[in-house]
Amino acid sequence: MTGLLRPHAGGFALVVVLQVIGAVAGLAPLLAVVELGRVLLAPGPVDQAHAWGAVVVGAVGLVVRLLFTAASAGVGHLLDDRVQLALRLRLAAHLGRVPIGWIARRRSGELAKLVGPDVSAVHPVIAHTPGELVSAFVVPLVSLAYLLAVDWRLTLVTLAPVVLAVALVPLMMTPTRLREQADFDAAQGRIAGAVVEFVRGIAVVKAFGGAERAQRGYRTAVDDFVGTFLRWVRGMSGIAAGMQLALSPPFVLLVVLTGATVAVTSGATAPADLLPFLLLGLGLTAPVAALGHGFDDLQAARRAIGRIRDVLDVAPLPEPARPKAPHGHRVELRDVRFGYGTGNGDDHEVLHGVDLVLEPGTVTALVGPSGSGKSTLVQLLARAADPTSGAVVVGGVDLRELDARERHRTISFVFQDVRLLRAPVADNIALAVPHADLDDVVRAARLADVHDRILELPRGYASVIGEDAVLSGGEAQRLSIARALLARTPVLVLDEATAFADPRTELVLRRALTARDGDRTVLVVAHRLETIADADTVVVLRDGAVVERGRPADLLARDGAFAALWRSHRSAFAEATGEDEHR
Amino acid sequence: MIRLLLRVLGDEHARPVRRTVALMVATAVAEGLSYALLVPVLRALLGSAPAEAWPWLGAFAVAVAAYAVLRYRSDLSGFRVGTTLLRGVYHRLGDHLARLPLGWYGAGRVGEVSELAGRGVLRAMSVIAHLLAPWIAAAVTPLTIALVVLALDWRMGLAALLAGPLVAAVQSWTGRATAAVDEERARRENEATGRVVEYVHAQPVLRAGGRTGERFGLLDDALREVGRASRRSTLSALPGVVGLAVVVQAVFTALLALGTYLALGGRLGAADVLVVLVLAARCADPLLSLADIGGALRGARAELVRLDALLGTAPLPQAPDPVRPRRHDLELDAVSFRHDDRAVLDGLSLTVPQGRRVALVGPSGAGKTTVLQLIARFHDVHAGAVRMGGVDVRAVDPEELMARIAIVFQHVHLFTGTIEDNVRLARPDATAAEVRSAAVAARLDEVVERLPAGWASDVGEGGALLSGGERQRVSIARALLKDAPVVLLDEVTSALDPVNEAAVHEGVERLMAGRTVVMVAHRLRTVRRADRVVFLDGGRVVEEGTHDELVGRGGRYAGYWDLSTAPPPDRPLSPGAARR
Repeated sequence: MTGLLRPHAGGFALVVVLQVIGAVAGLAPLLAVVELGRVLLAPGPVDQAHAWGAVVVGAVGLVVRLLFTAASAGVGHLLDDRVQLALRLRLAAHLGRVPIGWIARRRSGELAKLVGPDVSAVHPVIAHTPGELVSAFVVPLVSLAYLLAVDWRLTLVTLAPVVLAVALVPLMMTPTRLREQADFDAAQGRIAGAVVEFVRGIAVVKAFGGAERAQRGYRTAVDDFVGTFLRWVRGMSGIAAGMQLALSPPFVLLVVLTGATVAVTSGATAPADLLPFLLLGLGLTAPVAALGHGFDDLQAARRAIGRIRDVLDVAPLPEPARPKAPHGHRVELRDVRFGYGTGNGDDHEVLHGVDLVLEPGTVTALVGPSGSGKSTLVQLLARAADPTSGAVVVGGVDLRELDARERHRTISFVFQDVRLLRAPVADNIALAVPHADLDDVVRAARLADVHDRILELPRGYASVIGEDAVLSGGEAQRLSIARALLARTPVLVLDEATAFADPRTELVLRRALTARDGDRTVLVVAHRLETIADADTVVVLRDGAVVERGRPADLLARDGAFAALWRSHRSAFAEATGEDEHR
Repeated sequence: MIRLLLRVLGDEHARPVRRTVALMVATAVAEGLSYALLVPVLRALLGSAPAEAWPWLGAFAVAVAAYAVLRYRSDLSGFRVGTTLLRGVYHRLGDHLARLPLGWYGAGRVGEVSELAGRGVLRAMSVIAHLLAPWIAAAVTPLTIALVVLALDWRMGLAALLAGPLVAAVQSWTGRATAAVDEERARRENEATGRVVEYVHAQPVLRAGGRTGERFGLLDDALREVGRASRRSTLSALPGVVGLAVVVQAVFTALLALGTYLALGGRLGAADVLVVLVLAARCADPLLSLADIGGALRGARAELVRLDALLGTAPLPQAPDPVRPRRHDLELDAVSFRHDDRAVLDGLSLTVPQGRRVALVGPSGAGKTTVLQLIARFHDVHAGAVRMGGVDVRAVDPEELMARIAIVFQHVHLFTGTIEDNVRLARPDATAAEVRSAAVAARLDEVVERLPAGWASDVGEGGALLSGGERQRVSIARALLKDAPVVLLDEVTSALDPVNEAAVHEGVERLMAGRTVVMVAHRLRTVRRADRVVFLDGGRVVEEGTHDELVGRGGRYAGYWDLSTAPPPDRPLSPGAARR
């Protein structure tokens, strides 16, 4: 935690110093009462000036306390705002550098939570903890020193409730108690899970008319949680009550007064000397009360900072020291093996030595059953991970020797995401080419068959998505195709897994794919007969290895794996659509 | 606050809550009153006969014991009531969620409700268990002490009581001032969250253009706005926090000066003045803690308001005398439906004879999925009627309606559990043979054979351990097992790979056999076998007829058909063309 906050140490120290001065000054009015007591109880005529002097000192102490604690709170909160902004900007910058593969494995909500609530969780640490720590430890220590100086025996008596409370702590840590606490935490986790599952699955639940049945799991989790909670409360309540009573003001006062009565009646202590104990003695319980409270916020903040740190520690993929420039853009996979390392040697290998060449100016369709390694292969091209052995080579250069900028400029991916930004349409299309001129943007939009639709929007290309432009699914997809067309990377990788919203979009994509725009290298993870048929080369992947490759017509003639796949696909259609009847 | 709490909880909890609050107030009053006994004790100790303190000290000990008992009981009662409430609210929420129409569960809703039910309920209920007692103690004990002081000396008492209205005024002013700023802050934070999600999603594209963190202005601006809003909220909250301290300290200073004046003038005994000041010092800390507790209460209150709004959302009305449809033909009669004031369906009429298949085709946003949702009564229509077997679906018991409809969605949610559990969900009392035959018909048996634990294989959270096509097969097996007379299919195969698509097609074909079917599809080949094709656009029927009629007519549908079957313009025909 300290590392992330170090740059702000100066401000932090100022907060603490101001807080200490303010809190210690806060003792002045109490000491003024003590002094007033001494004056009033002193034998003989009352020293009026002395009495008023005490009042003035008390009043000044209060003003000082007010000014300094307010200053401390103000500085603390402003510092907190600065730290939060700095952390957020730093996280944003870092998210712009971590491997895409790392991002892909995370839910976007998780990352949004990190930049939002997790950063906010440092707020108490910076803005409130100094105050809490000072009032929990510094003030009691100063008070203790003062009380010891007044009367050490009465000080020991005053500490008795604190000792009693501390003595009860081990009772809260017995194995039974700890088990109950663990049960409670577990039940709390289960209830959250049950709620999420219940809500997520509600469509299924209702569609099958079994709301009550599915609710049973939810209800069981609720009752379970409530039961555990009650057991925990019952187990803890006696000890907790004992502890709270020991620390409660009436009890502390009872103990102090009993000790004081003994001391005063025996003549060991002057009556005026018991006033400090009545006024300051209660403050001695603060540290224990604070510990009992457990600094919940502090722990929450520590967990949040841990998560932030974990993300900041994610290393960007190693960049080459001397990047090479690719010559051309033929893509080659040379004996690529890849396994998801489990860390204990038994790697689960997904790709077993794939050799593949994607020639410029051709479209290659990658087909195969799910789990055959298609998406892993795409991820290696995106350098979401590096091969375990072998190499991915673009334009004669190993992907690992290309710098990230060059890599992104060479290869782009379509349909990983059709989400549009809440920004003008033109900016959305030109996202990858920030300084593109409008003519280029319009040309890309025309190619993607979305230009006319954009002109219908209230402010044309300046319309802001989500504000004055609401696009249908198909239109959004065409916009993202325009984006890819404008980026004009020489290598294009498409994943058809996303459904197309309508035939028009499908056609635009097919046109874009097959336009043979110069000598672009295209790889499609194909899900559609038309795409496969249009491809120059079909590569059939099964169990992490290439089993067939060639022109679609040749493969059909060869009557191997591809032909079988094709037939099963076709027969399903024939059965579903009755095409055979039309023949 | 308490009223809001009680509305969220329901009436049956009103009594225990009131009893607990009464107990908490009694505890706080007892604490304040016990301090009255300090007066005689200190008078004796500070006076000439300290031994006279003993009996009073005994009485104080008894009062402390009484306070301890009260406090223990009120704490316990707080926890017990809090727990009962927690359970009550969770059950109430669950029942209510199950009754809300499916149409209510829009895109952002699942996250919102999960968050509310997961953490929101706990936070809202912490009011009773953790916040109420300290708040009552911090407000009532000082008030009681002030009254004790008033009984001792009216001048000092009035000065102490002066703090009451001042503290209340500062508290309510702070509450109002921060509420507005907090809202602004929450809005900015939401916006920034949206920008982070955008930013993360757009990474591949942004990087291609060399735009990384520092240069993505939209996100930076949003983050800086959050910073500015939070600074504003800080500065607006500061007067509140400081204001409370000013009031409390000013009153204490006034008491100190007044006491000194009275004591020096001989108008009040030294011991009495000192007792009052000791008691006044005792009030300061609880009063100052009101600021923190107030903030926590406001946070919990916001959750309560959200819970209240959720519980206040009306479920679809249920017919008092439900009618059972005797046939399973479907009819949409001049149906209009709006969503956020946008007309989705506009006087749409459609009939599906029993046992026939109708395919809905049209551009996205045409209202195809809405038609399915209205048949299953996810929403109620704004005008017109949806009928099953001639009976308005609003007159049918919701469970009964659902029992007659099997829906297969494009995206399938599975429950954590085994494959068998998930299939059985459709009909828990099905025999093993029935489950097996549904699985074979959906070609789920192939999937099961491949999995290590077979039928007992876990599907993971939401079905994450299965592929999209495998999940789809589970959902078709489920629908087959349900054996409902009406089948609704929503883009079932559009996102599948060829192998799964073939399997799913087979399953769907078996599912449709002999049933009344409405399907949404854009793969026009899957549409050809429908008895009737309905082309929708802008919430209206544009064309209607058999596939061949519509293709022959050369209208919108024919245009679609050409688009989806035509080879790309500048490509030579390849094997795909051989199919004609």
